[in-house]
Amino acid sequence: MSETTAAPDKPITVEEQEVAPGFIGVNVPRKEDRRLVQGEGVFVDDVKRHGMAYVHFVRSPYAHAAITRIDVSRALELDGVYGTLIGEEVAAETDPFFQIAPPPGGDLKDYALAVGRVRHVGEPVVAVAAATRELARDAADLVEVDYEPLETVLDPEKAADPGTALLHDEVPRNTIWHGNFDYGDYDAALAEADKVVRIKRLHFHRFSSTPLETSGAVVEYNRGTGQWTIHSNNQFPGFAIIMMGPALKVGMDKLRFVSQDIGGGFGNKICTHVQLVAMCLLARKLNRAVNWTEWRTDQHTANSHGNERVFLDVEVPVKADGTLLGFKTRMIDDCGAYTRYEPLGCIIWAQVTPGCYRWRHVRVDFTQVCTNKSPCGPNRGYSRMQHLWFTERIIDIVARELELDPVEIRKRNYIRADEMPYETPNGCVYDSGDYARCLDEALKLVGYESIEEKRRDAESRGKLLGFGIGSTLDSGTNNFGQSTLVNPELQFSGNNEVATVKLDIFGEIVVTLGTTPQGQSHETTAAQVVADILHVSPGDVTVRAGHDSYWNSHAGFSGTYASQFAVTGLGAVKGATDKLAGEIKQIGAAVLGADSTDEVELEGGFVRRKDNPEAALPFMACGAIVNANNAVLPLELREITLNCRYVYVPPHQLPDKERKYGNLTLTYANQIHACVVEVDPETGVYEIVDYGAVDDCGTRINPQIVEGQVQGAAAQSIGAATHETFLYDEDGNLLTPNFYDYHVPHALDMPPLRTASIESPSPFTPLGAKGMGEGGGAGLSAVASALQDALRGSGKPIVSDSSNPYHRVWELLRNPEQSRELVEVENR
Amino acid sequence: MEPVAGQRISVEVNGERQERDVEVRRLLVHFLRDDLDLTGTHVGCDTGNCGACTVIVDGMAVKSCMMLAVQADGSSVQTIEGLAPDDELHALQQAFSSFHALQCGYCTPGMLMSAKHLLDHNPEPTEGEIRRAIQGNICRCTGYVNIVEAISAAAKGEVK
Amino acid sequence: MLLAPVEYARPSSLDEAVRLLGAYDGARALAGGQTLTNVMKARAAAPDVLVDLNDLAELRAISRSGDGGLELGAMVTLSELIRSPEVGEARPILAGVASQIADVQVRNRGTIGGNICSNDPTNHLPPVVAALGATMTIRGEDGERTIGAEEFFLGVYMTAVQPGELLTRIAIPPAEGERDAFASVPIGKDGTCIVNAAATVRDGQARIALGCVAAVPLLVTSAAEEAAVRQAVQDAQLDPPSDVHASADYRRHLAAVVAVRAVQEATA
Repeated sequence: MSETTAAPDKPITVEEQEVAPGFIGVNVPRKEDRRLVQGEGVFVDDVKRHGMAYVHFVRSPYAHAAITRIDVSRALELDGVYGTLIGEEVAAETDPFFQIAPPPGGDLKDYALAVGRVRHVGEPVVAVAAATRELARDAADLVEVDYEPLETVLDPEKAADPGTALLHDEVPRNTIWHGNFDYGDYDAALAEADKVVRIKRLHFHRFSSTPLETSGAVVEYNRGTGQWTIHSNNQFPGFAIIMMGPALKVGMDKLRFVSQDIGGGFGNKICTHVQLVAMCLLARKLNRAVNWTEWRTDQHTANSHGNERVFLDVEVPVKADGTLLGFKTRMIDDCGAYTRYEPLGCIIWAQVTPGCYRWRHVRVDFTQVCTNKSPCGPNRGYSRMQHLWFTERIIDIVARELELDPVEIRKRNYIRADEMPYETPNGCVYDSGDYARCLDEALKLVGYESIEEKRRDAESRGKLLGFGIGSTLDSGTNNFGQSTLVNPELQFSGNNEVATVKLDIFGEIVVTLGTTPQGQSHETTAAQVVADILHVSPGDVTVRAGHDSYWNSHAGFSGTYASQFAVTGLGAVKGATDKLAGEIKQIGAAVLGADSTDEVELEGGFVRRKDNPEAALPFMACGAIVNANNAVLPLELREITLNCRYVYVPPHQLPDKERKYGNLTLTYANQIHACVVEVDPETGVYEIVDYGAVDDCGTRINPQIVEGQVQGAAAQSIGAATHETFLYDEDGNLLTPNFYDYHVPHALDMPPLRTASIESPSPFTPLGAKGMGEGGGAGLSAVASALQDALRGSGKPIVSDSSNPYHRVWELLRNPEQSRELVEVENR
Repeated sequence: MEPVAGQRISVEVNGERQERDVEVRRLLVHFLRDDLDLTGTHVGCDTGNCGACTVIVDGMAVKSCMMLAVQADGSSVQTIEGLAPDDELHALQQAFSSFHALQCGYCTPGMLMSAKHLLDHNPEPTEGEIRRAIQGNICRCTGYVNIVEAISAAAKGEVK
Repeated sequence: MLLAPVEYARPSSLDEAVRLLGAYDGARALAGGQTLTNVMKARAAAPDVLVDLNDLAELRAISRSGDGGLELGAMVTLSELIRSPEVGEARPILAGVASQIADVQVRNRGTIGGNICSNDPTNHLPPVVAALGATMTIRGEDGERTIGAEEFFLGVYMTAVQPGELLTRIAIPPAEGERDAFASVPIGKDGTCIVNAAATVRDGQARIALGCVAAVPLLVTSAAEEAAVRQAVQDAQLDPPSDVHASADYRRHLAAVVAVRAVQEATA
């Protein structure tokens, strides 16, 4: 922000954990770094193939239109153009993508290119492949497409009104999904309330994490074997393969996914299976490798937005002492033009139904509608972030209206550490956590004890100071069985991840993951876990970079998403390494003449007798024996391979479809953020002058890496709270299609960012660790809360939107009564 | 002289003279990535905002997506691949690793070149000056906290 | 994202540059490229010929003029403006405003001439040169002419520089007791301006150029105190555009605020 920003303090570890020998909890330097700082990473556009064609998509300029004519002949005449692909071909050669929604929402047809109709600006209509990037772009201008514009549907609150134009003829009222959720006894809670706070409308806006590397792929097709090799930065190959195989009418094994380095994903690289099918068809048609690199404009316009969600007719029963009993609301979720991961968002919010709070009575009417906007994808914090923001707005607004202290009311309502594991009203189990303690630490980070003094000081400079809190959870390791709560016919449940750990002939330890990291340091943390178990150093452990489904180290849910690597990925690594350790000990015991494996141990790359450490066999010898000298082994040990593949499967159960009840995720990390803003009352311009983020993700494998995730996620949520918004005009054109208008935080925009952490290990996971990459959405709540506090002396406006750029703050200052009309307090 | 659509250019890249025929409309970043196979310099946006393509041309940090390759004819360009010889690491590269100033690594080459440019012109930058120097480099992963620390440490020679 | 086919020449003399611009119908001058490259990537404009001015040393000169003012070559980069001792002595506001533009990489290539000639209503330098009373010298094949800001800035992205012509230098009058200031509301630090205003004050009188609120910088004059400035801005009956960052109403409100703040800073 200002030139005089103070250097952030060193991060505070609140509780000194006893440092056990080994590598868990150590800031081991990253294995990924060397190649990345040298510019030697391999990102998808770095992959080159001889004779490769470059693809440019011709995209729809209309939000909603019928396609009446496509003529590619002039494009094909251009020298250097290899070919094209149009929707008609796609419809002939592929089946529409599998839909998660039940009928009628699930009856819509989604193909790799628009077929007959376009439903959002930027939707790909024609793919053109040419010898150079520039030629492909030139040829695209020669493609002729005629459209007949149709009525656009842009307002999710009106999308389901009778008479509104339909996006998909198969989907009445543009309603993808609707369901009711009823937990506890809401009517009794309402009767018991001393006060009822009603909020007419809260709005969570459209934005996304906009990873710096856009989506892309280099796709090759082998005519001899019918095998596609898809180099891409898709971050959930398990899901992509399940979607693409049936669409292309081929077996899953024909789709080999390869990636090495990925430049950020944050959920926005999950639904690219759509474009990848077009690429596969082109590679096969042209018999050459094809390269697609998404443009920034295309990522913003047409790839993956976070869900927009409206919360209507919110009703909150409250006791006199400030205890909230629950809430009732009608939610409308806008998923854009197509459902690619949706309608899972309609249930995923229920992982955190009461937020961080001990609220037992919840009634939700949930509708998801499609609109002529970019399709949504599971953007960082997917569906939980929207809901957690909602719960934070509720408690913040109730505190404001009932004039209760924002810290005290949260502590009164937070689930307590001694109640963990805590079962929520819909059967989810929060494994561990101490939210009140995190809040205390957050308050310290921003000097809350002197907040009133800071307020007076700001006043003397003509500024309004505001303090705000944001509480958030990061639920991780999904139970995909929750999909049956939106569609009882689906056959998905549980979760899995795979790792393979082997000892090679020369004693090299090699790890193969099933994941697709985009900066989460998997190579490093996996090496730490392996080193810890085998008693070697992380430098002795080779972790293959990236993902390759040919490595056969993946399963149905493999990928990097949904805050689960520390549990599933590292759980698989632990399982495989434990197995390997056991096998090494068996070899060692046999060769060293011990009676059982209890008599040997692993140390420094050797297996040795506990009673005589000199009697030791180096790992290299074990590898050599099994691979090249196995006649020395007794017969019963010849099944040992020292090549251990392990599938981690979390202990999920099938949820109850009738009651929409059950444990939907295994772990719950949390973050509590505190934010101090100064508002210029003359302009609505504000600055975040102090910011603290406290995280608890259980056992931290590498604290520095965890802290990096906290800092990055906080920056993203600050960006989303302040300037980042995907806004549309009345014709359905995106007004922020690039970084010029979609302003993300740059280095000077960042407030001083202070962090601290505590560790509440999870009782449910192999390492006590929890996934934690998505918990930083607290910034959206903290900023909203701080602004509302800053403006309290100016007519007590209510902050009801998650997007708060300067002009919105000015509106609240200028016209507080308008926002106050949203709130009503009934005293009983 | 009359205008041409293509030209043979001679550019010194990381100390080596490179001669190629290029279309005039080819951006410098694509010349580096596609014609010279120096894929360390990245493209992150369409409007010259993100800085992932930052290189040093004739001693100045510039966004290589905002220059034509022909404009670099006769110039000297330094990319991430030329920051340190062979497999050595420049103090900045070492510092970035020590201070966990990179996660996905996509913004990192551009970020390092901006940092190099800063330290070449200002060996003792304040925190504010560091942030100004990388204001044209967007990072979505780190929140910049560790990047600023790493550059500061490298400037002070305090690399672990 | 990628440019359409185009031709290119990099002349080594000003005369050659002017000749090329005049000889080819769709010829455009390429200065720092920090705007034109984007325009061409988006294919919002597709010049046939780019005349690269970067070899013209005479357009890069900064000097003090006889009367104590500044002569700035049109190709002086923003970084050069910031570093220049002459600018620092004669009219430091130019360096101060230039250092708020975007980032180092943009400032290393972007030029004062380019910033003015592109005349994007949200640019920083058009209101500054308008408030300072700068004059712009344009050269074409039939000679040179020198005009003031009001004649120079004609419309959105439009200036008095015609096809076949080139802006060669900008003359900034000496300060002579004038105090200059600039105030803005950008999106994020050093981001695009929602509103901006440049003011020069002398003997209690303010000359204020409002940016972002009209197709060209809007000049108002008033006594250099708050009420008068507000009245002058109100009398100008601003009709600013609405966009994703600000409604017309909000822009109008902010314009008055930054006008006052610029004047206050100049008189402080």
